[in-house]
Amino acid sequence: MKPKDTERIGQFVSYGYVLAVSVFLLVPFMVTVIRSVTYSLPDGTTTVGLKPYFDIMGSFWPKVYLSLSIAVTTIMIDTAVGIPAAYALVRYAFPGKRALYTLLNGVWYVPGICYALSLILAYYFLYKWALGYWGFIAAYSAGFLLLMLMTCIVAFKYVDPCYEESASCLGAGRLTTFFKVTMPLIGPGVSAGILLIFVLSFNEFITALLLNLPTKLMTAPVRVFAEITRARATPYIAAEAAVLQLISLAVVVVYLKIVGTKYLRGVVLV
Amino acid sequence: MTIRDRLKPLALLTPAIALEVGLFFVPLAMLGIVSFTSRDSFFFTPEWTTKNYESLFSVFSFDFQVTFGLVIVAAFLDLLLGFPFTYIMTRKIRKYSDVFRAVMLVPLFGELYIAYGFYYLFLPGGPLYFILDILEIPALKAMYSVQTAVIALAVYTFPFAVYNIGISLQGIDPAIEESARCLGAGWFRTFWKVTLPMCLPGLLGAWLVGIGWGLGAFAIPVMMGGAMISQRFLSVEVYSLALLQLDLGTASAIGIVLALVAVTIFYFSLKASRGALI
Repeated sequence: MKPKDTERIGQFVSYGYVLAVSVFLLVPFMVTVIRSVTYSLPDGTTTVGLKPYFDIMGSFWPKVYLSLSIAVTTIMIDTAVGIPAAYALVRYAFPGKRALYTLLNGVWYVPGICYALSLILAYYFLYKWALGYWGFIAAYSAGFLLLMLMTCIVAFKYVDPCYEESASCLGAGRLTTFFKVTMPLIGPGVSAGILLIFVLSFNEFITALLLNLPTKLMTAPVRVFAEITRARATPYIAAEAAVLQLISLAVVVVYLKIVGTKYLRGVVLV
Repeated sequence: MTIRDRLKPLALLTPAIALEVGLFFVPLAMLGIVSFTSRDSFFFTPEWTTKNYESLFSVFSFDFQVTFGLVIVAAFLDLLLGFPFTYIMTRKIRKYSDVFRAVMLVPLFGELYIAYGFYYLFLPGGPLYFILDILEIPALKAMYSVQTAVIALAVYTFPFAVYNIGISLQGIDPAIEESARCLGAGWFRTFWKVTLPMCLPGLLGAWLVGIGWGLGAFAIPVMMGGAMISQRFLSVEVYSLALLQLDLGTASAIGIVLALVAVTIFYFSLKASRGALI
């Protein structure tokens, strides 16, 4: 066999394997979408259509709006808090920097159920104001801050400090330099953080499940979980799960179309 | 350097520190305090006890075995599938690599959807029903089996494992592999004698990170594991004890141990795979 043929076969096998694994990862999503458009008619026959999606409109969409609202507010807080923190971590040298970074990351490494239970206790005893909508915001802002920190750190590392120094030398003040030079350069990196926080906070359900009891607020993923445990695999539950995944997927696709994967590499992608 | 210059990073970091201290460290400290009280007595007159921790070694030791057994096997499956995947992604293919990378983001949508997808897949009348029927495997047995729970957990933790393996593979200087090839080693020998030994710490890191993320799973054990796993998996046990049985003391004790184990695992994972960013 010629070396060129061997290489071609190698490429074929490589793509085949990567494709097979990718399909395997997409199987849960694909079967959920298939289930959501397949339903039985009163006469017992199975048909394909969007009826389950129309059926859930009235009761499910308010939960989706609540989840969207929580996700967007979380993003705004984490952006405002994460950018200055990442800037300080990248641009300044100070003792204990690594330890501080590790501490800021701590929440990310604790299982969701432990974090959620500790928050419930703290909300009951210390932060009674948080037993409501703002409890979700507070929990997610602290829980997902790391994502903004990581993406902004990667973004700041891409930006050569000489651009900022040049702006300063040309007479720009610190704030002007930051908003006119640094921010546009780190914009795609910040957007990667926004994407990740959106995807994770919009779909988060363990903390939301525990907060659901004292706050009486039910986010969309908690509603899906509650429905699954109650009625299992009916088409309208599949439609609810599919709606949440399709919204997330749409946001991911739009982001990747505009920015690509560059700023997600080194954070969640190789 | 003036004091003002020294205080600048602190000022920039203060909101982040306040957020994490107020909403992570303080609640975690509360969890620690509650773990030394009996049942829900913390709400009324705290009855201090160490029995919650003692019960972890007696009553809940089987739960620890079930949980760790499941996540360790799932993380191992991640390595088996993830290492060739990452190797190909970083060494072999360029075209469409961004599409395959984007697929890695889908499991991040959450384990709830993974659990639901697999649940429906194995359901009587579901997409795999005919294959299971031919193989004479009862659908319900397949749906609530340990194997299905392991596969679903592996899908959930796969992107995190791949990321860690990727960091390790990208850290290997291509010149080292090229040198081996120039000295006459074939592709397989180069891989076996050079690449694989060099990324072993990364593989260890990926395995640990898979275990760490697996410990936080909730929907997969609830929906897929059958009676044993859905009741014995630690995160489900914490939920059940705290919210259904109101035994906050024991739930908090399990939570503290689970958190300590997870943080230790992630610490060693980051050390092994050089995952730290700064």
